[in-house]
Amino acid sequence: MNAISRRDWMKTLTAGVAVSGVSNCLNAAEPVIKGKADSCIFLWLGGGAAHVDTFDPKRRGDGAGKAGSYYDSIDTAIPKVQLCEHLKQTAPLLDNCVLIRSLNHDISSEHAAAANLVHTGRKPSGTILYPSIGSIVSHELGAKTDAVPAYVVMGYPNIMRDPGFLGAKHGYIYLTQIETGPSGLVRPPDVDATREDRRESLLGQLSEQYAKRHPRDASVEAQIAVNQQGFKLAGPQFLNVFDLKRESPSLRASYGGEFGQRCLLARRLVQSGVRFVEVSFNLNFLNGSGWDTHNAGQLKQHLLIQDLDKALSTLISDLKTNKLLDGTLVVVATEFGRPPEFDSGGGRGHHAKAFSALLAGGGLRTGQVVGATDELGNTIIDRPVSIPDFHATIHTALGINPDKSLFAGQRPVPITDHGTPVRELFV
Amino acid sequence: MTYLTRIHASLAVLLGAAALLSAAPFPIQVELFENVPKGTELKPLGLQPTASYQEPAFAFVRIPARYSPNALPLDRSTPYVLRAIYERSFPAGEYQFRLRARGAAVFSIDDAEVARTKPQPPNTSGDDPVPPPPSTEKLIVRAAPYPHQDSVVRQKLTAGLHRFTLVAVVGGKGLMPTPGELAVSYGMPGQLENLLGPDGSPRLLDEEWDAYVAQAQKRHDLDDMQRRRAMSADVVEAWNQRHQAVRQWLAGTPAVPLPPVNGSLPLYNEVDRFLNAKLEKAGVAPAPLTSDLDFLRRVSLDATGLIPTAAEVRAYLADAPATRRGHAIDRLVNSPGWADHWVSYWQDVLAENPGILKPDLNNTGPFRWWLYQSFTDGLPFDRMVTELVEMEGSKTLGGPAGFAQATLNDSPMAAKADILAQAFLGQKLGCARCHDAPFHPFKQKDLFSMGALLNGKPLTLPSTSTVPVRPGGRRPAVTISLKAGESIAPEWPFQNLIAHANVGPQPASLPSYSSIPTRDELAALIVDPQNDRFAQVAVNRIWKYYMGEGIVEPVDDWSRVQPSHPELLQFLAREFVAGGYDIKRVARLIFNSHAYQRQSVATSTGADAAARVFAGPVRRRMTAEELVDSLHLSAGKRFLCEPMNLNPAGDRPATQFLDMGTPERTWQMTALSNERDRPALALPMAQSLIDMMTTFGWRQSRQNATTIRDDAPSPMQTLILANGNLATRLIRLSDESAFTGLALQNLPLSKLVEESYLRVFSRLPDQQEQQVFENLLAPAYANRKVSGVQASSARMKSDNRVSWSNHLSSEATLIRMEEERNQRMGEAPTGRLTAEFRTRYEDALWAMFNSPEFVLLP
Repeated sequence: MNAISRRDWMKTLTAGVAVSGVSNCLNAAEPVIKGKADSCIFLWLGGGAAHVDTFDPKRRGDGAGKAGSYYDSIDTAIPKVQLCEHLKQTAPLLDNCVLIRSLNHDISSEHAAAANLVHTGRKPSGTILYPSIGSIVSHELGAKTDAVPAYVVMGYPNIMRDPGFLGAKHGYIYLTQIETGPSGLVRPPDVDATREDRRESLLGQLSEQYAKRHPRDASVEAQIAVNQQGFKLAGPQFLNVFDLKRESPSLRASYGGEFGQRCLLARRLVQSGVRFVEVSFNLNFLNGSGWDTHNAGQLKQHLLIQDLDKALSTLISDLKTNKLLDGTLVVVATEFGRPPEFDSGGGRGHHAKAFSALLAGGGLRTGQVVGATDELGNTIIDRPVSIPDFHATIHTALGINPDKSLFAGQRPVPITDHGTPVRELFV
Repeated sequence: MTYLTRIHASLAVLLGAAALLSAAPFPIQVELFENVPKGTELKPLGLQPTASYQEPAFAFVRIPARYSPNALPLDRSTPYVLRAIYERSFPAGEYQFRLRARGAAVFSIDDAEVARTKPQPPNTSGDDPVPPPPSTEKLIVRAAPYPHQDSVVRQKLTAGLHRFTLVAVVGGKGLMPTPGELAVSYGMPGQLENLLGPDGSPRLLDEEWDAYVAQAQKRHDLDDMQRRRAMSADVVEAWNQRHQAVRQWLAGTPAVPLPPVNGSLPLYNEVDRFLNAKLEKAGVAPAPLTSDLDFLRRVSLDATGLIPTAAEVRAYLADAPATRRGHAIDRLVNSPGWADHWVSYWQDVLAENPGILKPDLNNTGPFRWWLYQSFTDGLPFDRMVTELVEMEGSKTLGGPAGFAQATLNDSPMAAKADILAQAFLGQKLGCARCHDAPFHPFKQKDLFSMGALLNGKPLTLPSTSTVPVRPGGRRPAVTISLKAGESIAPEWPFQNLIAHANVGPQPASLPSYSSIPTRDELAALIVDPQNDRFAQVAVNRIWKYYMGEGIVEPVDDWSRVQPSHPELLQFLAREFVAGGYDIKRVARLIFNSHAYQRQSVATSTGADAAARVFAGPVRRRMTAEELVDSLHLSAGKRFLCEPMNLNPAGDRPATQFLDMGTPERTWQMTALSNERDRPALALPMAQSLIDMMTTFGWRQSRQNATTIRDDAPSPMQTLILANGNLATRLIRLSDESAFTGLALQNLPLSKLVEESYLRVFSRLPDQQEQQVFENLLAPAYANRKVSGVQASSARMKSDNRVSWSNHLSSEATLIRMEEERNQRMGEAPTGRLTAEFRTRYEDALWAMFNSPEFVLLP
């Protein structure tokens, strides 16, 4: 079960170079490719977005006995490539994107395990805790400036987003709703600037006296130093990034609802120097189930798709307007897809052996579709892309060598589990 | 005092406490019946009850734990049946009775059925609707929590004695085996009701119900403890005999010679003698003795994970200077916090990793409860380890069987062998999982043969636990000596520690309770006194816990062992064994040494054993648990947290949704497991606690064993303590805050500052500090009180209408999102202090809690 993860570094040991920690590309014939993006916005459709109802549409089904897509399909900017009719704003921008229609893995039973796999690129081993892709990017690239963190999550803090063996400093700052703001960074609502000044002045006096009583004590010095760094992070330079009112009302409106506003915030964060922003699309009040459209969750799925369409298309255009699209890789990912067949309640079950993801910008050779599924979207018929390959593609786009070894103590662990980037997106 | 007499002494204290709690015998006679034939559950006739006890009133929120002969928690049959019988007189008249139950129940008066509830169906849905909120207008009594049923009947009673009987089915296939809010209440028709019981029983109002439940929990905790101790007295005796035999054996082996010292350095006990010998030789001066108050704060945190209370500081200062330190040590190692604090440590080391939502990512059972009871009951360490290796008891209720679980792991017993070996033998086998260890003297077979001992039969090497060599690929740099599919027989792999053949009936056979003989064989080898590695690893862990550095480093990997003080290590191990494997005895030796009582030294000396002299304990920051628990203690506020249970409706089984109860200390927190990223599964109050804990190094997911956490200071720690939801709540001067209470007393301002310092820093302020805070508070102090305002006892509450069964509804999502926003607003400030004074005082407290002095140990 856990073997992929444990085996992977063995494979690099096989190549005989992992222990020294230097580059260890598996196939010496192929040079290491390096993309040009420097940040990543990772849009997470938790619950398992139906590929056949979004990025890989098929012939219409009927919501009951007849399998197929739930919606009509529309043409896009890529000739002969169609999307679901509710992605109508994204369709004309699809030449800025890459569709991967052949993602696959073998966990369709459990959301948490599958979501963990798509975030860490590995199954759990029990001997070490694997880091999330956001933590790896944070570890490899760091933030662009010391006034912002490297990794921000809009969604729930949980294991799949955690830094694992990379340690707490490669964790994230998170918020669960735009309205509540980032946990820990924002002053409590009842503390105004006067109180904040008073607080910091008192703390300054206490710290100074304590340091005087403990001269030449490295742990005391370190504690006072991180306090200063911390208050810098809580300073206006970073917090202003969260102030969406600084954007024009028309832009805010075109991004749409809560998810769109999160995407707008993601753009602002990337602009400020954050490297990896994960934005969760978990607006389950729209249809109850979110993207996990069993039974009646299917009925209002189009509301989710329309929200996604609005936010994603605006994000792509907005990044372009700000000349950030080439440097920013946008990823739309989910833990698995859903079958073309309908369940007895008119919704869909889980489907991991073939599903889709979308990449945009990031300096990739966009306008391509990678892989294909059969007539109904059940089975991959061309160019399967594994989760490690998917991760390797993202890392490569960000200029990170997916075969590089990180170290969990003495143990070398390659960034991806023997993943190979999708070459045609780079050369 | 021997182990046994100590148990008796503490039992006597507890029995005294019990007598207070149950001054009058409780009138409701309760019986539990298990394995009741299907269809006859509501008429358990002719069956022997498996438990009989009494309750003060007709509310059955908690049932007595069931224990194995060696006091491990066990499951009851599911379903089981609860029958409660009670007789009392009523004046003639018409009464209203309310039967409240989640599942099937029948309430009878004078043996005639008057009310009935339906069986609860198991539910696999998540799409159920959220029930409407209870209408406050019509509500006279506490609302029935979703999905409880109320069956309300009016009944005319004749004057005189009546007999009341409740029979209820608890749990069942696909259901949680918990009673929920099973209760019967009565009143005049249309009026407020009391729980059925003697006059004066609690009224069915939220506040009185909550108080009753809190009391019932305490009462049952105590009762469970007494019962398990009484019923396992012969097990205690068997271990005691084994320890007698071990002591006799030990007496025949040479004692550790005490090294000569020249007497120039302070020496409190034998520990110092060993250290001084090296200090003298190295010409290093030890750090000076720490002050009495610094010592108290440090030893309180080290022994119990809590800072001392103001009252404890005062009592300590009132004690004679010559004896106050010793008395404090005695008090602390016998306080309840001792168990709390050790549980956190072993949760990490043993990778305790329960999942409250469909266990999957290398989850275990919640064996924290067994750890806690073991430390509370003062079990000798070799017994604890034996019981852990035996892996018996309930998997979901917290027995060591939960240790055996490793969901999604391809070879759970190999994983457990790795954890046990590093925890108790300093043998790190993890790198031997897929191949022979490249940096350790272990072969893959060593790990799997130990795993096979746990398995009770040969283990097969899974194909996922090896390294495939691809055709044409290079030979791996590691040695692969086993093939996938190969069967590995149970065998003790550490012949160098103790030869298998040496283990016999001497010095005494192991009191064992395993259903798998090879587990006992393994336990016997690990805890055998001739295996001196076991005792040495244990005392080295204790030493490191208190002194900051081990005599051997790292504590969990002795493959290149080079003790800094080999004789001290032997001495402590011998003391440990001679004392019946009592951790407290070793802790006392350390706490009472001059070495421990010295001022902290700034940094550790690192890996170089030769340079390690223990000039003083290494300064450390509070752990996440110490910080969060101490903040609560200082602020005088209780934990505010939802129940750790995503299935409060109880309509899914315990194997999928654990009910971890409502935490009162940090070690009781659990990962929220919201990888689904669903707002309806969020627990915002718990999240505020977890945010601070994870920022300070607590691991919400313990997929692997760890002894040393990542404790590097980070700016996020500053921020979460400065602005996080939990810190904001604890600093807020609400009516629950102890600081609000202080401010409302008629103290002179100087005294308020002193008291605040005592509560936060365990010391009095110096003149300058006194001045700073008096200057801050003085302008608003005289007129700080607002008259005519009552204290509010309102606390934030979690909407209990949301459960797994309806979490996919839009409304459940909106409810929890609203709670998140409320959580951010914090709790209401007291109205009894002016805003001007309150904000000044809050800012003072904020500065104190955020100062390095609070988080760094003296």
